[in-house]
Amino acid sequence: MSTCISCGRKVTPEEKAVKMTCPNCGGITIWRCEKCRLFGRTYRCPACGFTGP
Amino acid sequence: MESNVDTQQQISETLLLPQEVLLSAGVHIGTRVKTKDMEPFIYKVRPDGLYVLDMEKMNDRIKIASKFLSRMNLSKVVVASSKRYGRSPVEMFCKVIGCKPMTGRFTSGTFTNPAYSDFFEPTAVIVTDSLADDQIVEEASQCGVPVIALASTDNSKMNADLIIPMNNKGRRALAIAFWLIAKEILKEKNELPANGEMRYSIDDFETNG
Ligand SMILES: [Zn+2]
Ligand SMILES: [Zn+2]
Repeated sequence: MSTCISCGRKVTPEEKAVKMTCPNCGGITIWRCEKCRLFGRTYRCPACGFTGP
Repeated sequence: MESNVDTQQQISETLLLPQEVLLSAGVHIGTRVKTKDMEPFIYKVRPDGLYVLDMEKMNDRIKIASKFLSRMNLSKVVVASSKRYGRSPVEMFCKVIGCKPMTGRFTSGTFTNPAYSDFFEPTAVIVTDSLADDQIVEEASQCGVPVIALASTDNSKMNADLIIPMNNKGRRALAIAFWLIAKEILKEKNELPANGEMRYSIDDFETNG
């Protein structure tokens, strides 16, 4: 099960979440849940420290 | 002695283009509106009330977006601009990089309705302005597709996964944005040497008239 990188909540298959690799290092798969994405909440890559969006 | 306040910004030597070129195109010039979302990317406010974006952050984000894109299947990346000044930069970018341009009006259902004749499933979407291109951002979010958004001082981070803070309204600024990203992608993919130049100039990317 995947968890949102910003809020730590489990991402459900029904929601409009996004799955992508870290834009900067590409080494980590990042999940952002529907809400965190909608509200533009900050995410931080645990591998390289990149902070988005 | 009078000095240009805009050039006082501490700029590193790692800018992708000479500072004068970027300044004269106004790539850092925002609007008179400042959103909370864009605050971290804003350098200052001018006496005339225009908010100015941080050029170094813009530069960093162009590099990061280029790295991000270079790892993707570019033929499935949609680049959108509903604005007139974005049209030529987007079309040239797609020609050089092999992405799919969507300029002008976006037909709803393009990403969400498989019955639609022009239905397309992108792996990522680039928008020039999330306000003007709101429909495409909404559909990309419905499909869980990463959104890269050029954003000025008046934009929000809503449904964007990667922000490139810059002037997304100026004709020259938009040409420079897409020209730079194209060049950086080619470098990332080793299709252009580190100090190489593209066959196309910024003028080639700019919308005429
Ligand atoms: Zn979340
Ligand atoms: Zn990373």
